[in-house]
Amino acid sequence: MLIFDQLNKGDQSLRLLAWGVLAGLLVLLGGLWKVQVLSGSTYREQQQTQSFRTVRVPAIRGRILDRSGQEFARNTPQYRLDLYLDELRPQFDRQYTEGRKALIASRQPPAAAKARTFWDLLPGRFRRNASGVRLTSGELELLRRQSRFAVVSNVVAEVGRRLRLPLQVSEQALHHHYLTKRALPLPILSHCTPEQVALITEQSWNLPGVELDQVPIRQYPHPGLAVHVVGHLKRDDDHDEEDGRFNYRLRDYRGGLGLEAAFDKELRGVPGARSILVNSAGYRHRQGERMIAQPQPGLDLITTLDLDLQVAVEQALGAVAGDERGAVVVLDPRTGDLLAMASAPRFDAAEFIEGVPTQRWKDFYLAEPARPTMNRATLGQYAPGSTFKIIDAVALLEAGLDPRTVLSVQADPENPAKGRYLLGRRSIGDTAPPGAYDFRRAFIRSSNSYFIDHSLRLGWERLLSWGARFGLGQKTGIGIAEERGDFPTLDAVEERGWNSGNLANVSIGQQITLTPLQLAVAVGAVANGGTVFWPRLVDRLEPQNPLASTPIIRFPARQVRTQIQARPETFNVIRAAMRDDVLDPEGTGRAARIEGFEICGKTGTAEIKGNGRKDKVTWFASFAPFEAPRYVVIVMVESGASGGGTCAPVARRIYEHLHRREQRPERQLALQEGMP
Amino acid sequence: MTVGIPRTTRREGLVDWSLWMAVIGLMAVGAAFILSATGAADEAANRPWWRYRVVGQIGADVIGLLLVAVLCLIDYARLARWSLVAYWLSILLLLGVALFGVSRLGAKRWLDFGVFQFQPSELAKLAFLFALGNFLTRPANELDSPLLFGQALGMALLPFLLILKQPDLGSALVFLPIALVMMLVAGVPRRFLVRFMTGTFLVATLLLVDVLYAPPGWHFLQLEDYQKQRLLVYFGLDFAKPDATPAERLAARAEQESKSYNVRQSLISVGSGGVLGKGWREGTQSALGYLPRAVAHNDFIFSVIAEERGFLGSLLVLLLYAVVLFSGIRIASQARDRLGRLLAAGVVTLLFTHIFINIGMNIRLVPVTGIPLPLLSAGGTSVICSLIAIGILQNIHFHRRHY
Repeated sequence: MLIFDQLNKGDQSLRLLAWGVLAGLLVLLGGLWKVQVLSGSTYREQQQTQSFRTVRVPAIRGRILDRSGQEFARNTPQYRLDLYLDELRPQFDRQYTEGRKALIASRQPPAAAKARTFWDLLPGRFRRNASGVRLTSGELELLRRQSRFAVVSNVVAEVGRRLRLPLQVSEQALHHHYLTKRALPLPILSHCTPEQVALITEQSWNLPGVELDQVPIRQYPHPGLAVHVVGHLKRDDDHDEEDGRFNYRLRDYRGGLGLEAAFDKELRGVPGARSILVNSAGYRHRQGERMIAQPQPGLDLITTLDLDLQVAVEQALGAVAGDERGAVVVLDPRTGDLLAMASAPRFDAAEFIEGVPTQRWKDFYLAEPARPTMNRATLGQYAPGSTFKIIDAVALLEAGLDPRTVLSVQADPENPAKGRYLLGRRSIGDTAPPGAYDFRRAFIRSSNSYFIDHSLRLGWERLLSWGARFGLGQKTGIGIAEERGDFPTLDAVEERGWNSGNLANVSIGQQITLTPLQLAVAVGAVANGGTVFWPRLVDRLEPQNPLASTPIIRFPARQVRTQIQARPETFNVIRAAMRDDVLDPEGTGRAARIEGFEICGKTGTAEIKGNGRKDKVTWFASFAPFEAPRYVVIVMVESGASGGGTCAPVARRIYEHLHRREQRPERQLALQEGMP
Repeated sequence: MTVGIPRTTRREGLVDWSLWMAVIGLMAVGAAFILSATGAADEAANRPWWRYRVVGQIGADVIGLLLVAVLCLIDYARLARWSLVAYWLSILLLLGVALFGVSRLGAKRWLDFGVFQFQPSELAKLAFLFALGNFLTRPANELDSPLLFGQALGMALLPFLLILKQPDLGSALVFLPIALVMMLVAGVPRRFLVRFMTGTFLVATLLLVDVLYAPPGWHFLQLEDYQKQRLLVYFGLDFAKPDATPAERLAARAEQESKSYNVRQSLISVGSGGVLGKGWREGTQSALGYLPRAVAHNDFIFSVIAEERGFLGSLLVLLLYAVVLFSGIRIASQARDRLGRLLAAGVVTLLFTHIFINIGMNIRLVPVTGIPLPLLSAGGTSVICSLIAIGILQNIHFHRRHY
């Protein structure tokens, strides 16, 4: 060292001092090396844990669209008035200081009682202690809490005054927010109307900490439309595994029904993360917010539904009666695409976003037998009644029944206008009159006797296997929640100990159940000559931003489930009979008839015994046009009068709509890519 | 003795440039990081620019430099004649603090003169340095007398006790090494010094044991609560008394958390700076208030530097101080007389003690005491006194050949 050379050899004391200084500096350097270099990362971690909070930021949810790009569900900006507590800190402090002064003053003995001493004459700073009052830390903490509430409630009241709204904030809510979410703003008005937004932005607002924030909110532009298919959202405040790394969660939603639930993951996208720098008091630091992971928007879901048709369908179904319960399925028999699916009664999915009030939940949503949230098209399991005769007919004709064979039906002694069938000693009533029935007449008059008679000869095995081939008793694979219905296998029949009486019942659609969707798929197979499709509801999932690199996920149409091996003649006979059911003035489905559009149908009225009283399920299963079927329409109404009387007119309205739009070539039911 | 620039043939030797480069460098670093620690708050408080704390600091730097220039014109030997007056004046001021002082954070260390507040303990250090230097410049053989040794010790203990009473343990402790080193350099027999050191060590150990471990009621030394707590924090001991109830224990726990807070936060600041630091004004510890704003720019300025400039920044600061300290020792060795030698050695010790204790407490090497870092910490008294101390070095250097 230079300095040591310069010191005289004899200058021992200064050398000692120099060595001492050097040693001291090296000790400091060693300590700094240890803290900054060796343990640097540990301290950096500690620094980050204490000063950063991560917030989970939900991604923009994908839209749900119809096949031409019209929106069933979209997102719309909602304006929320937030209070940023960190901006109010100076006011908290001022309020607290004043409060403390007041508290001390109130504790001090009255001035008169206190002897004035020499020290009181001196200016304040020379006085030893302005007061002898000591406040406990608990009192001071309470005072702080009260100060915060006083300031916040003043600001909130001022906001309310300007907006002419009775706004309030509770002391508990504020304290809870302060303890758990101090770095986040306190929402004071969750939904601002456009008028309020205008008022807030136009007025020289000038309230500290009050800011208008924009959050995307789910919107269903046609309230109630296709609500059972589209579904609804509900608050999702669960903390699942992946979220453990977040300090805060912003409000998020998850699908609670229908497509919103079935494709929740795809629609939701991937949440992002924002980091907030917080100061030592736990408040947000002004410039400290940063996105550390951008949320990835969810995918748009393009359904096969047609929004205009859906509107027409729901209007038609709604025209039945005031409190009808029913379902309609419209399907393209050439592809298996669902064009419309409706269930009544409907509800407004928007109600679920803020949460349904308990009373409303009890009075409306839990009401029996309405059960508005139930999708009757896929979850309702009903006896098909006479509509089952379509499938029964396939089985009979394929077993070699000659459609020209005539069966003579006896009159019911109790009701001479109606026929009856005697099975041993049991008499099964018929809605059709007595007389001679060949296949065509039996079908259009819906003669139970004819079908029972032939089905008893057909036997369980063949009837059940034909039903199974049409997909009865099995799920259709639609993708949203569905039931399989009750269509037993041969084993199940044996297990239940069913006899020929039961066989008679099953042949006319009693004692079995199916969903309207299952019936639509089966009727579609009859219409298209034997192809049972996997019905398709979702066409594709595509990124909201067309420039995004995310690939489009497609669900191809025309997915064949079963190709039914039956003679073309069989289907021809049945299709003709279905046409005549509508066309023939004697046919049960004549109410569905319209000019210029050959509709083929079959009515059904099933008797069900439930809750000790008799009820009916009425059906109209149909397709059109006769020559080249493009539509299958299934109408089901609970507690209707009859299939022909209640359901056929609903189908007629739907076909009228379809027919009208076919006149206008520009509105073909074609799937279009992208936006309309 | 003459007043003015000494006549010399070698004019380049008048100013110790390496010393002053280091001093200017330290002042610049100090200003930069005081701005970093306080700029945002000053801005937020809407202060006019001349009320910014960094401006105050630069002002103090300038005043200090001017004082140094003036002081250098007067030979230190001439100044030393007034040393006893200055010494007793500072003792008087310390007494004044005890009577009329202004309390800040539970300690009375300041005198309020309306326009500015003044910390007499800083001045007392310098006055003591001069007085002791003057006292020890007697012939070497007289220093063998135990009486003289006792007198010298007494000169140190008087301000020591007065400052200890404020209470300001850190500032008080600075007097002991200064006295020790100056006596060593003066040639006081080693046996006295060894005895003095051993005695001090024993008393300190006993007091520490008394403070830390003695049962209630047996405390010989009544330390302020906060002083005792600082020591407990430093030695990592429980605040709770041995016979405490669980509730008291819990309360003591919380108290300990909050009392060790400063130390923990300064460690986090220094440590999280890592090797390269986060960048000037990029540090979060003082900006977010984890490092309390009241101390970040003065006692804990080193934490701010270390956080924002990392180990390299710390190294630079240590190197600058090393230049100052070793320049001081060289000046001591080149001094023309015993007085210059003693004063220079005293100044080096004074500066070194401050540096060691301050940086040491930032990294938990020594307990927390309110000792400023010379030339870096914000605070007018500290800066001016540090500059005067360095000015004394320059004075000795300046007049080294003037016989």
